[in-house]
Amino acid sequence: MQVWTKLFAKSPFKPMTKHAEVVLQTVETLEKAIQLWEEGNYEAMRKYALEVDRLEDVADRIKEEIRDSLSSKLFMPVNRGDILRYLHMQDKIADAAEDTAKWLLVKEPNNIPVEIKECIVKMAMESIKAAKLVYEAIVQMDTVIESGFSEAEIKKEYEIIKQIESVENKIDGLDTKLMQSVFENEDKLSWGTGLYVLNIARTLSNISDKAKDAAERIRLMMSK
Amino acid sequence: MIDVFGDPWLLITIVVGLFMAWAIGANDAANSMSTAVGAGAITPKQAVLIAGVLEFVGAYFFGKSVTETIRKGIIDPSQITEPTVLIYGSIAALLAAALWLLIATKFGLPVSTTHSIIGGIVGYGVIYAGMDIVNWSKLGQVVLSWILSPIFGAIMAFVVFKAISKSILQSKDPVKSAKRYAPVWIGLAFVVIGTMFYIKTLHGKELATALGYGAMAGVLAFIVSFILLRNHVKATDPYWSVEGIFKRVQVLTSCYVALSHGANDVANAIGPVAAVYAVATMGLAGMKVPVPRWILAMGGLGIALGVATYGYKVMETVGKKITELTNTRGFSIDFAAATTVLIASRLGMPISTTHTVVGAVIGVGLARGVKAINKDIVKDIIISWFITVPVAAIISAMLFKVLMIVG
Repeated sequence: MQVWTKLFAKSPFKPMTKHAEVVLQTVETLEKAIQLWEEGNYEAMRKYALEVDRLEDVADRIKEEIRDSLSSKLFMPVNRGDILRYLHMQDKIADAAEDTAKWLLVKEPNNIPVEIKECIVKMAMESIKAAKLVYEAIVQMDTVIESGFSEAEIKKEYEIIKQIESVENKIDGLDTKLMQSVFENEDKLSWGTGLYVLNIARTLSNISDKAKDAAERIRLMMSK
Repeated sequence: MIDVFGDPWLLITIVVGLFMAWAIGANDAANSMSTAVGAGAITPKQAVLIAGVLEFVGAYFFGKSVTETIRKGIIDPSQITEPTVLIYGSIAALLAAALWLLIATKFGLPVSTTHSIIGGIVGYGVIYAGMDIVNWSKLGQVVLSWILSPIFGAIMAFVVFKAISKSILQSKDPVKSAKRYAPVWIGLAFVVIGTMFYIKTLHGKELATALGYGAMAGVLAFIVSFILLRNHVKATDPYWSVEGIFKRVQVLTSCYVALSHGANDVANAIGPVAAVYAVATMGLAGMKVPVPRWILAMGGLGIALGVATYGYKVMETVGKKITELTNTRGFSIDFAAATTVLIASRLGMPISTTHTVVGAVIGVGLARGVKAINKDIVKDIIISWFITVPVAAIISAMLFKVLMIVG
């Protein structure tokens, strides 16, 4: 053992990027599941939904590992609490994706109006954007540190955060639209299908909510 | 050359001195090059080769040919009247310092070799003549250096890293700025290296001449790096390109560190050997004695052996495990440590290179440069500095007692 190897502790940023990568995969798999769901290919959909569940587990494990290594012993360029809260939010994105997958698995719906189906697919596509942007944001955070907190790199990071916020806004809009169409179509839907659709929408919009919260934490990391 | 084998005590001292030199090579040489290895500027193999050769060259060609028998006047030699005391004491001090270095190296703690030998000398001195023999104000300076070295190192590294990142990393076009400002930083680093080469390696005294050497080296480095950067650096990933520039400089600063370390720290191993040699050849215990070349060569060889046998393992782990350190950070640390040591020693302030480097690492961390530093290890390191002198003193005192009884 030698002091220089111990003095420079392993930084959490690389594993955090890895975690963001898995989270992105989770959301991407969910999107595929939703596309198959729209097509009515429930058998294939189920496979993807179960894969979402597995990936969420992987993300969880990485999160735990990062938490364990992020003891208060470390002296870092960003606040430790901010990192932990960021990680928590980033992990919640995968959790929300898993929640959606669970709802997809509970029933095989028939007679869902096309407009509602389309709205849900759109929400899923936007969720992917949010997850992708969160991944970009954490990669950019690494560059911010690499540059010694350069103004130009911080500006780029703010751009990404703004984009995440606008995606979240868009999903919120889609969510409201979906709720409206559920009630407009209440005669055609059974109460069960209505509950089912609304919960899928709620968990999907949760994905972007958590992405926004994660972005908020990155914003805090850059100021000291 | 006198009949070494005719005098068993001299032979024993030489063996112990060799052991101490080996321990210096194992503990120190690895420390001085680890920022370069960690930042990927050189491979562990190259580091061992460079350190081994340059440490020997530094020790043999630039080691002081006249050395104080008692390092830094830490105890009053006029109180030691019997030559045998100096012989037993030197052996005890050397062995104690080497053992402590060995323990510190095992636990991976960068301790000062100078402070280890000081501890060893204080230990036997106190046992022999009581507390009065110790020059307490000198020892106070050593204590002061535990506090000053890391603080100055940290401040300097903070400033240097901030300045480099402001002028290069944070600019709109880092590669373009690197071409413009990197030669300035490289030039400045060589001013320090040139000046130090005169003072620390050639053991010159005049500041004007020293600065002359420094200016010469600086201007030359500026011109060479300016031309090389102008023609050979392509912009791919901007930060990567900037790191590439500083990577080459780090190789040179590491070479300098090894050379200078050999020239200076060899005295920690051969000083006591020279003292015993003086007693054996002249029968008296003077304060300063001429050191024969072969003793210097032996010290250099010992250090090189330490680097080769133990240092390699250390460097290899360093190279594999410090992946978080980049070349600009490594350069900031090396440059800041060298500058601090130079300025402080000119101001007559007690300072330790090892301690300054650790301070510099923390300074870059404070400038939000290093991604993660282990606070617990910093605490361990600081504790090891505080116990170096007492522990070496206690081991030395015990060894001295035994030698007095046996001898």
